[in-house]
Amino acid sequence: MEDALESRSVRTDLSGLVVKLVGYVFIGLFALCCTLPFLLVLGTSFTSESAIKLHGFNFWPREFSTFAYKIVFENPSLIVGSYLVTMGITAVGTAVGLFLIAMTGYALQRPDFQYRNGISFFIYFTTLFSGGLVPFYLLITQYLSLKDNYLAVLLPGLLSPFLIIMMKSFVRSIPHAITESAKIDGAGDFTIFIRLILPTTTPALATIGLFIALGYWNEWYNAMLFLSPDMKYRPLQLFLYNVVTKADFIRNSAAASNVPLQDVPLESMKMATAVIATGPVILFYPFVQRYFIKGITVGAVKG
Amino acid sequence: MFHWRKGSILLLAAALAALTGCSGKSGGNGAPAETGSSPQGAKESAAGGAADTSKFVKISYLVLGDKPTNGQFEKVLAKVNAIIKQKINAELEWKWIEWADWQTKYNLALASGEPYDLITIGTDWLDTWGNAQRGAFMNLDDLLPKYAPETWKSIPQEDWAQSRYNGKIVLIPENDYTQWVNHGFFYRGDWAKEAGITEPIKDWEGIGKYLQYIKDNKKGVIPWDAGSGTQTFGGFVQSYTDELELPISTGFLPVFTAKSYDEKFTVVSPIYEDVFLKYATMMKDWADRGFWREDALNNKNNNRDELMAGLSGLDQHHTQTFSGLRVEMDKKQPGSDLQMFPFSRTRGTNLMELSITHGGTSVGAHSKNPERALMAYDLIRNDEEIYRLINYGIEGVQYEIKDGKRTQPAGFDSTRDGYYSDFWGGRVDKFEIPSDTTWDQIGTLYAEYDKIKKPYVYGQFVFDKTPVEAELTSISQVTGELGPAIVLGKAGDPAKAVEEFRNKLKQAGYDKVLAELQKQMDAYKAQIGG
Repeated sequence: MEDALESRSVRTDLSGLVVKLVGYVFIGLFALCCTLPFLLVLGTSFTSESAIKLHGFNFWPREFSTFAYKIVFENPSLIVGSYLVTMGITAVGTAVGLFLIAMTGYALQRPDFQYRNGISFFIYFTTLFSGGLVPFYLLITQYLSLKDNYLAVLLPGLLSPFLIIMMKSFVRSIPHAITESAKIDGAGDFTIFIRLILPTTTPALATIGLFIALGYWNEWYNAMLFLSPDMKYRPLQLFLYNVVTKADFIRNSAAASNVPLQDVPLESMKMATAVIATGPVILFYPFVQRYFIKGITVGAVKG
Repeated sequence: MFHWRKGSILLLAAALAALTGCSGKSGGNGAPAETGSSPQGAKESAAGGAADTSKFVKISYLVLGDKPTNGQFEKVLAKVNAIIKQKINAELEWKWIEWADWQTKYNLALASGEPYDLITIGTDWLDTWGNAQRGAFMNLDDLLPKYAPETWKSIPQEDWAQSRYNGKIVLIPENDYTQWVNHGFFYRGDWAKEAGITEPIKDWEGIGKYLQYIKDNKKGVIPWDAGSGTQTFGGFVQSYTDELELPISTGFLPVFTAKSYDEKFTVVSPIYEDVFLKYATMMKDWADRGFWREDALNNKNNNRDELMAGLSGLDQHHTQTFSGLRVEMDKKQPGSDLQMFPFSRTRGTNLMELSITHGGTSVGAHSKNPERALMAYDLIRNDEEIYRLINYGIEGVQYEIKDGKRTQPAGFDSTRDGYYSDFWGGRVDKFEIPSDTTWDQIGTLYAEYDKIKKPYVYGQFVFDKTPVEAELTSISQVTGELGPAIVLGKAGDPAKAVEEFRNKLKQAGYDKVLAELQKQMDAYKAQIGG
């Protein structure tokens, strides 16, 4: 693609320049749209609450304050524990989930797999119809007895129909002849999958892996439902969410319940929690980004 | 068998009576060791309930709130459990439903069939009747007199009547705890005096006069820094009519009310009465006179903070809030003499008590030890020592009593020593110790209320929204869309704005909802025999 652009620009210098210019301006603006809000969040998180009240949100803190972070980090061992829990769940979940999704996706597109349509439908069906919250809750707490168990957060995220379909359409781009030739050479199905399919699907694996990892990283709802406060360490997002709701609640009910009103920096705290939660992702993203783009385009075009 | 059992219960009741009587003597200065130092009573109760209490059990209590993290709660509960274990061979265990998405979690916990023993309930905010309908609670008719005799005796029959679902008692109401959540305006007594207002303000015209004085004389003060979300129409209706608020949400503004206490089952709407136009006109006038900011509709300031900083002259909330705020104000703005004008004062007729089932406790349908759960509850509610431990913590650590008031001990650090248990399932006035963070003269307001108060009558009324779900949603949209501008006087000509509001409400299906509501209200009337 870059070559094509280059050769054209040799022919018509001016129009190529215009295209480039427009492209850069457009992409630059888009990048600005993405970064500005984050900078605003970052700036606000370091602003004192009173300055926020008087002047609103600012990119550059009018009154510098780290009070919000102090409150969030009030109990450092808790936040470190939450980080570790989230990282653990994300790592294990991504590894296991990726493996399972890749296998499912591969199996579902093998032309010699007789029941692939039936099973595909079975998986696809769950995206349209589900039992709803109460049966899901009963399943996890009563039948699987996973209340207060990290598995309750880990298991539901392992397989996602959307990602399976994505994987399936990606693997389809690998000629079936490869599988057949390996079979003739005497390779078993598992060997074919490990030795031939996985290495040729790295872009897809990176993409899907990132999706899964982001899902686990941001996961708080299942944690909220199934992990009770009796557990000391719970996933980071839930921890941060609780810090904010608690502050919100203290503010609203302080006077009503005759609790001495404390100065809770609610606005800057919300921003601080956002920074804490997104920070690692921002650091991590550039490393997998190139796979990400490749994977998503390949999957889309060939699908 | 029967006789033996009856005997043992009598014995138990006697033992409990002895215990409470004993600790009662110590009055407001209840020494921590009081009840425990009654070995005879303890032995008797243990012996009396021997058949029931031979096996040690844990009683779980489902409460709403964030679990305290500083370890104080565990310390207090250990003390409580030491007493309870000795008495009924059981221990309490708090199960917290955190505020994050609490409605979902609470209802799921009840629906899941997990064996909770005691459960915090609230008919007006925890969907208690809906959960009762789904069979979440145990029928207590037979258990109460046997296992919670003190509680059973202390709650009058008419209050038990309000605790029944389909004729069966499913909950224990918090019927003996004074809480006033009726709304009103809070104004500064010192500024009112300067403005020549010597009598307590009793109507909205008086508030108008007060605000005008601030506008004219206090530089840099916004008479009332009202923000987005301000809603005073309900208060206006309470001030100028006898109409009663109904437990039906219509979004931003209350659309349906009951005609009066005498005709409490007749549904009307203040929106279609003169009072709405009068209200809209007055608010327009207030806005034009600059009592609040031009951009009040988008104002996100916290008015209460401004009030405490001396930058705003008025606030609006309920009596409980006032009693705490008054003390805060006395500290932050000495001499401000914050006063409350409760909306009910204007006509002196329109004031209903809080529902006695706003708080309370039920026994879970899947509880494995309902007997012991009720015995434990009976202790929490009727044993002064346990009650104070659970509600206030340990004397000397969390609080001390000075001149009959609860105060924080020297060196108290709220992060380290702060304590709460969120026990809202049966507080009683007789064991409450007034706190130095509540205004000591709040009693004068209470006395004023006591003269005119009427019991809450909609405690068992549950509006079944299903037949008019769509209409109710549209109505909520109309009130949310047009309401805020009317409330803050920014809707242009009041007559026109009111007219538009009424028309839109009609289009949204006002008549259908009214008919349905009246139908259900008639059924409710027949049900409770009113």
